[in-house]
Amino acid sequence: MKSKMKKDSKFDEEFQKSQQLTVESDSDFGYEDSSQDYGSEDSYASSEFEDGDSSSSGDEDHLGDDNSKDAEAGKGGPSKDEDFTYTGGSLALGVANDQEDGSGDSEIHQGVETDSSEDEVAPRNTIGDVPLKWYEDEPHIGYDVKGKRILKREKQDKLDSFLASADDPSSWRKFYDEVNDEVVELTKEEAKVISKMIKGHAPHSHFDPYPDYVDWFKWDDAIHPLSNAPEPKRRFIPSKWEARKVVRYVRAIRKGLITFDKPKEEDGPYLLWGNDSGSTEKSNHLAYIPAPKPKVPGHEESYNPPLEYIPTQEEINSYQLMDDEDRPKFIPKRFTCLRSIPAYENYVQERFDRCLDLFLCPRVRKKRLHVDPDSLKPKLPSRKDLKPYPMACYIEYKGHEDAVTSISVEASGQWMASGSSDGTVRIWDVPTGRCLRRWEIGEAITCVAWNPLSDMRILAVSAGQDVLMLNAGLGDEEEQKKIRELLYVEPSAPDNSDGKTLSVSWHQDDKHEALKLKHLKTVTAVEWHRKGDYFSSVMPAGESRAVLIHQLSKKFTQMLPYRLHGLAVRSTFHPTRSFFFICTKKTVRVYDLLKKKLIKKLDTGLHEASSIAVHPGGDNLIVGSKEGKMCWFDMDLSSKPYRVLKCHPKDINNVVFHRTYPLFASCSDDSTAYIFHGMVYSDPNQDPLIVPLEILRGHASSNGRGILDCKFHPSLPWLFTAGADKVIKLYCH
Amino acid sequence: MVKHYRPPGKKKEGNAAKYVTRSQALKLLQISLPLFRRLCIFKGITPREPKKKFKGTHHTYYHVKDIAFLHHEPLVEIHRTIRTHEKKIKKAEAKKNLERANKLREQTPKIRLDRIIKERYPRFVDALGELDDCLTTVHLFAALPALESKKIDVESVHRCRRLAHEWQAFLSRTHKLRKTFVSVKGIYYQAQVEGQTITWITPHPLQQVVPDTVDITTMLNFLQFYETLLGFVNFHLYHSINLKYPPILDPRLEALAADLYALSRYVNTSARPSITNSEADHLDGSDEVEVKENEGQTEDEKSKLRLAQLQHQLPSNEPGSLMHLVEDISGEDEEDQDTKECKNLFKNMKFFLSREVPRESLLFVIPAFGGTVSWEGEGAPFGESDQSITHQVVDREVQGHLFFSREYVQPQWIYDCVNARIILPTEDYMVGRIPPPHLSPFVVDNEEEGAYVPDYVKTIKRLQNAARKEVLPLPGVGKEDLGDPQNLLVEGINDRAEANEAAQRKEKMKMLEQQYHDELKKELQGAAYTPMGSNVGEQTCAGEIKTGEESTSNIKQNVEDSANMPLVMMSRRKRKLLEAMQISNERKRAANDLIKQRKKKLEESKR
Repeated sequence: MKSKMKKDSKFDEEFQKSQQLTVESDSDFGYEDSSQDYGSEDSYASSEFEDGDSSSSGDEDHLGDDNSKDAEAGKGGPSKDEDFTYTGGSLALGVANDQEDGSGDSEIHQGVETDSSEDEVAPRNTIGDVPLKWYEDEPHIGYDVKGKRILKREKQDKLDSFLASADDPSSWRKFYDEVNDEVVELTKEEAKVISKMIKGHAPHSHFDPYPDYVDWFKWDDAIHPLSNAPEPKRRFIPSKWEARKVVRYVRAIRKGLITFDKPKEEDGPYLLWGNDSGSTEKSNHLAYIPAPKPKVPGHEESYNPPLEYIPTQEEINSYQLMDDEDRPKFIPKRFTCLRSIPAYENYVQERFDRCLDLFLCPRVRKKRLHVDPDSLKPKLPSRKDLKPYPMACYIEYKGHEDAVTSISVEASGQWMASGSSDGTVRIWDVPTGRCLRRWEIGEAITCVAWNPLSDMRILAVSAGQDVLMLNAGLGDEEEQKKIRELLYVEPSAPDNSDGKTLSVSWHQDDKHEALKLKHLKTVTAVEWHRKGDYFSSVMPAGESRAVLIHQLSKKFTQMLPYRLHGLAVRSTFHPTRSFFFICTKKTVRVYDLLKKKLIKKLDTGLHEASSIAVHPGGDNLIVGSKEGKMCWFDMDLSSKPYRVLKCHPKDINNVVFHRTYPLFASCSDDSTAYIFHGMVYSDPNQDPLIVPLEILRGHASSNGRGILDCKFHPSLPWLFTAGADKVIKLYCH
Repeated sequence: MVKHYRPPGKKKEGNAAKYVTRSQALKLLQISLPLFRRLCIFKGITPREPKKKFKGTHHTYYHVKDIAFLHHEPLVEIHRTIRTHEKKIKKAEAKKNLERANKLREQTPKIRLDRIIKERYPRFVDALGELDDCLTTVHLFAALPALESKKIDVESVHRCRRLAHEWQAFLSRTHKLRKTFVSVKGIYYQAQVEGQTITWITPHPLQQVVPDTVDITTMLNFLQFYETLLGFVNFHLYHSINLKYPPILDPRLEALAADLYALSRYVNTSARPSITNSEADHLDGSDEVEVKENEGQTEDEKSKLRLAQLQHQLPSNEPGSLMHLVEDISGEDEEDQDTKECKNLFKNMKFFLSREVPRESLLFVIPAFGGTVSWEGEGAPFGESDQSITHQVVDREVQGHLFFSREYVQPQWIYDCVNARIILPTEDYMVGRIPPPHLSPFVVDNEEEGAYVPDYVKTIKRLQNAARKEVLPLPGVGKEDLGDPQNLLVEGINDRAEANEAAQRKEKMKMLEQQYHDELKKELQGAAYTPMGSNVGEQTCAGEIKTGEESTSNIKQNVEDSANMPLVMMSRRKRKLLEAMQISNERKRAANDLIKQRKKKLEESKR
């Protein structure tokens, strides 16, 4: 090692003047120190190694440069001898050095043909550290020592070279030296050295990086101490500072400034509920609701349940089709012996869910009803006690060619009028079911209504925009005459009246021998006053003139002096007093016609009311709606419904009270009619009694419509129903 | 959402004043969400359901008082100091001052939950009443693997094991176990302690995996509370039977993972002298610990002994302690019928467990019902070759020597015996056979609901009746019971009685049905005939015929109508309730029908 270092220094000395590369080269050699050293020690491989080293170090140009310079500078004669003598220790190196110099000499003569790969041997190319790119297009690669061109070798075919390399087992050791344009082959030892260097080991295998330490100094036989100085005093006297420190600690401990860690207390359990006095203590917290206990398992959770608890394969497959919520969470399984039960995979998850429930779920006490569901149903009085009421279909009146929209029973109960969408009005004999009379109106009839007076058999019919007063033609001569007089109107009458303000014009209709009231808009309902002189008509699209009151005797029409809120649906007169009810979609308004003011507003709470009926007593009324609900109002009680009955799944078309019996009925598009017992007591403190009595079926539905109208017989507990199936039915008790 | 204007300075009213949302609560308490959760778990505070959710339905609401309750909790302050302490430790570690870090770590304040337990459960009975979840969680963690990644440390697993075993040893000693049930999920146990029914599950002794969906910190919070609770409960229970609480166990047995046995041995050995000194002396001091002190002694002898004992102690002891002793003895006498029955179920029977049966469970169950048990392995009280063994519990074909002096049964036999409280015949439970179905003892009142009853329930009932009829249900003769002609007779009687009952019931039902139909018909006819009576006219004849025809065809319709009639009069709420009830009843019935159908199919396929 030392020798090589020396050699480096020699190089330095040599090139200090000419080149400014010293530092660089120095470092290079420093890096390659160990290898050089190794090379020098190991004589047999030295030459090859140095060559390999120069090529692998990546600084070969540089080295080559140096060497060439060395060669150029000629022999460093004087320093060489010194060098030789100084190194002394390693003979091999001396030889190498010697050789180096020798070869340096010989190179001058031999020049190119030396194929020796020794480090000291200058490469045959002398171009120096120039980019090889410059020579790319030239036929030569550079110049030898003598300045002759070195020609490029013939380029080998790539395929051939590949084949050759494939055949040659030592091809992995060969590489191409671009500068010298030749292939260099490493020996196996060189390759080994390189691989070791790559790994970062010492290149030589025999090199020991950690040799045993040799202690050159030996005390054994020495008589004298190493130092003759006397022992210092401080070794014998106690330390003042230590003493002070101790005193300070002692004082601190005495004062309690320093406390020592107490022996750990065992905080194990103790008798927490010693004397159960806690029972008397009352906590002032909120009511504590204990968590519900987890469900205890049934037979199906057993590891070996009865066979019938295990679902078949098809059933298990069908679970896959189910909704996630419906799917059973636990599928029973059967194991024939205890040892074959596997671990339950959801155990921890279920436990965790329970934990979450325990602290994240609000706890609410819920009453669980363990009652028979039937006991929830209200106890109703027996139906038998509430007889008579219509129960079964008795007579069918057939003849209409389209849905019967409206019926009306004459005051005596002997005749019944009906209007249909086929544009005809018929009068039927009630007991026999015979059609007595028939009018062709031409337009779909919306409403028919008998005059409530028994000696004035006039039929009010609404069809389209007209309201017709038909003479039924029943009764004796005198009566007929009276009616005819009543129904006569001067043809010029409408011109005289204030045509602009009035929306109705009174005409004589000769075809039916009738009185015709022409309205501006479609009329949906006609209602008589109990005295038979006044009647009202409703045209929902009429806005402020939606409800009109007509006086037959004076042929006079007046509109209500009130603003209507909402769409008018029906109107009706109070059975005893001068009140007038207007039913709009959501509310019912009660007006006093004499005092001309609003008396009451009833809030139905329904979406769309369709019909209204007033109890003969006058204090109660029912409103039917299109959502199938029926509201019973007790007008003395409140403006809110006393009872809401949800009986029909479809629209209610009409509701009606019986005039003498405590009965009321509703008919709906679901082709049923409900009969209720609705008893109103004279005692104002007693609430009305409502009992559902019977569901009447029998009508068929057509075009989604069922029973369009129903009316009670004026004196008997009979119910007439008009169906969309062109039939009118009479239900008797 | 519409915000109502509240003038400044006016206090909140109604629900907004009574409840706060969770985030409001956090802001108020100045703590983080995880700590809040932890405190809620410790203090047992749950969200509430205000009548009006003023901030929307997606919020969680807490009562203001609950939050105030948390606000005054010292635990909040302790957690804060812990946090500052942790910061100090971190700082010391960062400065490489390990000594200080260790010192600080030792000084970290610890949370004590005893006060909270007392607060939550002012009486011991309250704590027992809510022990279900506690036991299940502790038993689960006793079976979980200690995982670094899941923060389950070995110590806590060991602690759980110890607590669980202590609890089991107590039950086993005092014979308070009532029911067991081996389900697919795990083994259910039910015990009755101080009038409280406590049910818990233990997982099967196999590796449990903690899935990633489980937030283990929540579970650990619960565990921390439950561990403390169970510790105190165990202390109280052990104290009540005059035992020192943290029991000192035989390290040899402990090492062999036979903690439960070691515990029960400890319990028995140390309980005996404290309760009845002279009795223990009277008995031979052999190592057979499971032999109960009262075993083999008639009532007379016992009372004599007690008298002697009292006289013996009279001069030496103060009257106070004497009174105590008397109380103790009377306490023993107070054992209810149930406990006695449980205590004597496996009396005079010796069990031996093979390797493959679940040892821990059976070591708990058999002594709890008065049996003596041993197992294969070291530290067992007696070996397999012991001639006095009456039953050997095996779960697979025995390879070794077969003893004719004992019966080989599957483990299910023990659980079934325990649930039925009689010694069942062992024939069906022999090795290699598929045992009869294992039924849940928790299904009790199924008969009145009309639910499906498996056949084996009936068999067990019959056997129970037979056992009760006998003057002395000798254990071990259960097998001969079946062959006994007298017993068969009893069975026959039972059967006949049952059949009679069923027939009567059927007849009754039929009668009722008939009556109903008759009534209906009458009603219809009445409806048809009444018009005749009233003076309407001659036309009614035709109408009558019509109605008659209709009536026959529409009976069903009418029945339905009459049933639905009251529905019209019901309020909407009640109607919905009724509908819900009907749906749920229908569902139950469907489930029952399904099982019955399967049963029918099975029977058909057998033929």
